[in-house]
Amino acid sequence: MESNPEHLPRARSCPQTGNSPTPFVTALLSINAQRPGTLLAFLLGLLLAGCSVLLIAPYDATTDRLLTELTVLTETVVVKADNDQLSVDEKEKFYAEAEGTVNAMKMRAGLYAKNEQEIAALDELGKRYHALHERHASPRTSLTTGLRATLLDVQQIQVAKKRSSVFSSGLNKTSTSP
Amino acid sequence: MDTISLVKDMLTAATGAAKGHAKDLENYLKARVKLIADGTAAIAADVLKGKITEEDAKFAFDEIRESEKTAVLAVEATTLAVAQDAINAALAIAAKALSTATGIAVPFP
Repeated sequence: MESNPEHLPRARSCPQTGNSPTPFVTALLSINAQRPGTLLAFLLGLLLAGCSVLLIAPYDATTDRLLTELTVLTETVVVKADNDQLSVDEKEKFYAEAEGTVNAMKMRAGLYAKNEQEIAALDELGKRYHALHERHASPRTSLTTGLRATLLDVQQIQVAKKRSSVFSSGLNKTSTSP
Repeated sequence: MDTISLVKDMLTAATGAAKGHAKDLENYLKARVKLIADGTAAIAADVLKGKITEEDAKFAFDEIRESEKTAVLAVEATTLAVAQDAINAALAIAAKALSTATGIAVPFP
């Protein structure tokens, strides 16, 4: 299952408390500031509990693919609108397709724990498309900058998750190698 | 077990884990600033050409302002990923040290 990115990844071995990670990180830094030995003991405690730390939901290749497709669609439509080549029908179809894709991504994002930032960012992305749609605005560069910036923000979340996933795979290989 | 060396190795691993994310974050922020600068120029140009109204320009700028919320979310998610990788990198070093010192195989992660 792990080799297939289309499947949802297995839960980590660490028990999920559902608590916000922020107090955990704050506590960690606070312990570190007081005594480095205490930090070591804390980390060794975690280690003996046999679990890795999970602060953010794992990378999801399907979400990333949907986001890439949505970005390509949006950028294509923006070029057409800038050149006054976008018909009213095409514009309506674009907004319906874009809002549908964002809704599908939000449903998928909700399946993961520790995914609050992505869910909130997708909510905002939906609002950007909806605001343009409601205004019957032509998706020109001038009118879609806020939307395209939000798309970039969601992409950055995927980049951070992907890097983290690659890094975790590296740790797995190191720890399982003889 | 040499605790001082272990702490040093754990910190090195944690710092190394954060470096890739830092470069990604820099690239993202540069791309975002450029996108907004180009977009602002496009708003001005379209108003002057009569392609959009002043009302449209205000709407477009409000949408840029609204998008700052998601920039904060993106930075927040990246920070969490950095913290996660740094802590797990340090734990991996500790697991190896514990295994070496005691002969007990410590599974990690």
